[in-house]
Amino acid sequence: MKVKTLLAAASLLVLAGAADAAVPEGYPASYQAVIDAAVKEGKVVVYSTTDAAQAAALVKDFEAAFPGVKVEYTDLNSTELYNRLIAEVAAGQGTADVTWSSAPDLQVKLAADGYAAAYPSPEAGKLPAWANYKNTVYGATADPVTIVYNKRATPEGDVPTTHDALLKLLTDKTEAYKGKVAAYDPERSGVGFYFMTQDEIQWKAAPELFKAFGKVGLKTYTSAGAMIEKVTAGEHLMAYGIFGSYAVSRNAKDPNLEIVYPKDYTLVTTRAVFVPEKAKNPNAGRLFLDYLLSKRGQTLIAGDAKLFAAREDVDGATTMATIKKAAGGQVKPIALDDKLLDGLDQTKRLRFLKDWSRALKGQ
Amino acid sequence: MSFRSFRLVTLTLTVLAVLAPVLLIVYQSFLSGPFFQPRIHLSLDAYAFILDDEDFWQALRTSVFLAVGMTVIAVPIGVLLAFLVVRTDVPGRDWLEPLVIIPTFMSAVVLAFGYVIALGPVGFVSLAFKSVFGTVPWYIYSEWAIALVAGLTHVPHVYLYAASALRNLGSDIEEAARTAGAGPWTVALTVSLPMVMPAVLYAAVLVFFLGFELFGLPLVLGDPEGVLVLSTYLFKLTNKLGVPSYQLMAVVVVAIILIAVPLIMLQRRLLRHAARYVSIRGKGARKQPIRLGAWRWPAFAVVILWFGFTVVVPMAGITLRSLVTSWGDGVNLLSVLTLDHFRDLAEHGDVVRAILNTLGVAVIGGAVTIAAYTSVAVSIHRWNSRWAKLVDYIAMIPRAMPGVVAGLAMLWIFLFVKPLNPLRSTMISVWLAYSVVWFAYGLRMISGSLLQIAPELEEAGRTVGATPGQVARHITVPLIKGGMISAWLLIFLIFAREYSTGVYLLAPGTEVIGSLMVSLWGTGAIDLVSALAVVNTVIIVAGLAVALRAGVRLHG
Repeated sequence: MKVKTLLAAASLLVLAGAADAAVPEGYPASYQAVIDAAVKEGKVVVYSTTDAAQAAALVKDFEAAFPGVKVEYTDLNSTELYNRLIAEVAAGQGTADVTWSSAPDLQVKLAADGYAAAYPSPEAGKLPAWANYKNTVYGATADPVTIVYNKRATPEGDVPTTHDALLKLLTDKTEAYKGKVAAYDPERSGVGFYFMTQDEIQWKAAPELFKAFGKVGLKTYTSAGAMIEKVTAGEHLMAYGIFGSYAVSRNAKDPNLEIVYPKDYTLVTTRAVFVPEKAKNPNAGRLFLDYLLSKRGQTLIAGDAKLFAAREDVDGATTMATIKKAAGGQVKPIALDDKLLDGLDQTKRLRFLKDWSRALKGQ
Repeated sequence: MSFRSFRLVTLTLTVLAVLAPVLLIVYQSFLSGPFFQPRIHLSLDAYAFILDDEDFWQALRTSVFLAVGMTVIAVPIGVLLAFLVVRTDVPGRDWLEPLVIIPTFMSAVVLAFGYVIALGPVGFVSLAFKSVFGTVPWYIYSEWAIALVAGLTHVPHVYLYAASALRNLGSDIEEAARTAGAGPWTVALTVSLPMVMPAVLYAAVLVFFLGFELFGLPLVLGDPEGVLVLSTYLFKLTNKLGVPSYQLMAVVVVAIILIAVPLIMLQRRLLRHAARYVSIRGKGARKQPIRLGAWRWPAFAVVILWFGFTVVVPMAGITLRSLVTSWGDGVNLLSVLTLDHFRDLAEHGDVVRAILNTLGVAVIGGAVTIAAYTSVAVSIHRWNSRWAKLVDYIAMIPRAMPGVVAGLAMLWIFLFVKPLNPLRSTMISVWLAYSVVWFAYGLRMISGSLLQIAPELEEAGRTVGATPGQVARHITVPLIKGGMISAWLLIFLIFAREYSTGVYLLAPGTEVIGSLMVSLWGTGAIDLVSALAVVNTVIIVAGLAVALRAGVRLHG
């Protein structure tokens, strides 16, 4: 009973607030219909891999921009997000209004399987082409794939600024780096698999690097947190293939963890967002998606949220410009396209993993 | 309601709640795709794939190794600690007991990470050791180290069973042996131990079984070397194929169930000697602690040594981590001290809600759970029926599902069983999931208490004309009230650290501390994770202290 009264009170507030949410600049006038419908829906349910603490500023600002649309934010890992979405859809009960995941391959797979609704966002034109999959899945961030190292313990001359330099370092100083290098395990971690297959596409010598990993007795991990922690502590000297957003957050607290944006090429991956076909509140979902891609949302992403903005026309501490500057212009965004599905092809996947485990054994 | 219909309703609900997720998983294992998708058919392909997968056999071997290692370590130490605390005049025996059970309520991931900070290659203990002896002779990421840590942290499981059996022995026999000139150790080995052997073996089987569902320890300590156990193999399986393959995961669960069934049969055989547990008789037995004499302080040192390694070392690691910005080789810890992590934690909006939810599900949920477990235990108590046996068997099976799979199965149940839909995304679903998974554990504690009641007490009730329902209400349940309260305390501790079972049921508003820790861990916010772990431990220790002060005993 009490809940109902509260809901009634809330909907009054909603109606009162609706007038405040004007159509954002540059949007067609018809967008007012989306806003009104979203306010009527009253809430937007978000499934995301970005943890709630990191997304708090975005959620707060969205609610301020669109009074009357409350955000229900649930953070999950990318596999959980995938499992939950397909089960909810199969049960015919509707699902989240927006999914936002750091596993772009799984997001594109969901879209290819018909779980995502096509939606030409009014912001679509402002995004770089690599961040748009068939006007359905959009890249909201541009997270660089970096190398992190322990500044205190790593000799300055050793710090690799390119992939080639890393390969050379591990080949020349194999003994000194025995057990001191960490990376995601592509056999046990989807992110690791995704990053390392991209390396193979970008760089001919990638298999050589994997062999060099084998020779230095690479320590493999399933979580970035553990790797960053152990590099900071000096248990390892460096970790390969770390999300720039995690590295930047830690570097802000402990400058001893230093970041390399490889100058031959720095991969950029994205946190991909779409509105599910079976969203319960599709208008609110679109509103949230548009907000994430808007200048306002992207500016926050490049600022307080400490993620990297996908749009190139925003300023902040973490933007594409930051990466370009650090990487000397050699930025290689991993496009949201059907090629990502190749990585999920079972035969190709098992072949890569076989090669990888051979390389680690030094064969 | 007559006792008969009470029994019928209770057991039907129990069997449904427990078997639904298990049968769903077994069914899934024989399909060609997710059970809810169109165009799937019955198939044995998943079995063929798993049985052909070298990694599966490797994981199974490691799991067996860990289970054996754990049992070999945990059982003797658990029995020894129980004997010392319960039957001897070891110093501090009153406050040692709560200390001994502390590891049961510490999250395994946190515990493991605490070991990394203390005993890892650049842990503070390792660095101190190195500065004195020049080298660190241990490596905590090996299978042997994981077995050792797992064994030591499972000591409380053995302790609880052994202690309650020992507590119920009359001391007259031990005294007789002492009078005849036997030393305390001779008494322990030749008199006390044989008397509690069924309980000890029972606990040994339990620990062995728990070895197959270890998750947090191998996840953290096994990561760098890629040590795979059955529960972490599930991740590798998902990754091999790119998308989760439910039928393959289900086959692994079926394999664990197949390991569990003979173990449950073994436990039932052991319990046939239930008469040995009888202690609440019509007349009481006198209890006198054995005098250890010169052995008093060495015995005390053994308990403290175990406690130091199992609790103090990892907890010191985590506490230290929560107070510094950096640690490890070349860091002067005094220069990096900070309270920022706790401040950041306070600003994290979900934390307060997560703490309240955790307390809610652990205190209130725990109480309801105990009431439910008691209903089941009373229903099958002294009921010589095949149905009673069946309930006993199936109780253990949900525990055979590793947390990640149990969580998924629970999501499916709440999604696809229409009447349950409204409960999804409420704390009720999370609570129900916890209760089902920990059913075996709780049921054993309650039925253990019930077994201590000698039949003559209930028979007396029947003789004066009470119905079975009245006997249960007025004699049986009141007699085990103490046992129920201690079971409640333990369930509180377990629920306060549980999360994986509820992970798919979480929605805004239903966060618990455990789930929060996992999502923060994933993004590398180990500052916050360690601060949260410290807060969580403080809450639990406070809860324990309040309960003990209020007169709750750990044994009924």
